[in-house]
Amino acid sequence: MSTRWYPIYQRGNPQLRIFLPNFWMKLVHTPLRQQPNIVHFQCSMEMTKHDIKNYLEKIYKVPVVEVRTKISLGKFRKDIGKGYVVKDDDIKTAFVTLPKTTTFEFPNIFEKKKGDVEDDLKSLEETKKTFKQYIERNRDRSDIPSWFSI
Amino acid sequence: MNFSLFKTLARRTFTICLHTKNSTAASVTSKTKSFHTTAERKDLMEFFDIKKNWNETNIKVGRAWRLDELRIKSNTDLHKLWYILLKERNMLYTMEHECNENVRLFPNPERIDKVQESMNNIETVVRERNIAYYKLETGETGERPTDDVVNAFGLREKYQQKEYYLPKFMNTRWVRPYLEHGYINSVAVKKFLRLYNEKKYNEERKARNRNYNHVQQLLKRFPNMDMDVLKAEYPGVDIEKAKRTRKARGHYFPKY
Repeated sequence: MSTRWYPIYQRGNPQLRIFLPNFWMKLVHTPLRQQPNIVHFQCSMEMTKHDIKNYLEKIYKVPVVEVRTKISLGKFRKDIGKGYVVKDDDIKTAFVTLPKTTTFEFPNIFEKKKGDVEDDLKSLEETKKTFKQYIERNRDRSDIPSWFSI
Repeated sequence: MNFSLFKTLARRTFTICLHTKNSTAASVTSKTKSFHTTAERKDLMEFFDIKKNWNETNIKVGRAWRLDELRIKSNTDLHKLWYILLKERNMLYTMEHECNENVRLFPNPERIDKVQESMNNIETVVRERNIAYYKLETGETGERPTDDVVNAFGLREKYQQKEYYLPKFMNTRWVRPYLEHGYINSVAVKKFLRLYNEKKYNEERKARNRNYNHVQQLLKRFPNMDMDVLKAEYPGVDIEKAKRTRKARGHYFPKY
């Protein structure tokens, strides 16, 4: 909605408000080591620094000290099959500074849990067993597809 | 579209909510205890899924909000729901990005589509209400008006109007090239239009001939086929004429 057409702002008019913003933002890893109060976001291309600040403060209730933005050019590459040139989308990155006292650590989402390795081994065993069964069953009818059974 | 309706209604419902809350606060407390709400997390961790779903391969969720369900909601409810969906979408985008970075499969990517569909439906409902309000109050839809214009190539085009700081007649930079000399009368545009029309005409002609020949071949191979179906399939072809041609005659005695 915020990317819709808004009336032109004339000085003295009431401030333009967004009721249903359709801006998106995603939190991404900081590529290099940063201060603990610096967070990197990727956001929609239409967002300004003010928008980003307001977005975080009003919707997520996160205090923001400073916002800097960068637009990185999408890569130009050749399509593998066809050979024509394809351009990837540009990316707007926001470097957001939180107050000194707050810290943010990017969580490790793909941490292995305790039982995970055992579960994997168990499922592997199971697949091996079912494959053996399938081979056993299709010993004398090798030309019949696997889904065909009585 | 203007959101004045939305604003006033939202304000009104909000005030009504406040009034009711104040008057019946004492009596309601016992009933509201059974009411379950999710705990509010006001944090950057809102950008991530709940911890239970990390490292999960299959996350089951419900369906998207339907239009009919949203139509019976109040404006305030829609407004709140919009922000919930917005946060959910941001969360999903973040998780998807993280999965891609770590070369993992993003579990149940259709969640993004479901959220997007719900958001589109909310937008539709708000738009409907706005149009209804505007029709009642002003007799117009309140949508962004469109114009039929001729563009720089001399082709007809829909133009979505927008506001300008300068009125048309004062904008000399626009008026002079566009109206006085005109793209539309220039030699280049005339040449373009001539070639463009020729191309279009040739395409139509070729399609006509192709269909005519194809019908003849069909009549030759299948002389007893259903003529009504053939007529419906190739409405531009004169089938009676096609029957009488040499191409349509097979290697057998003609019936007529």
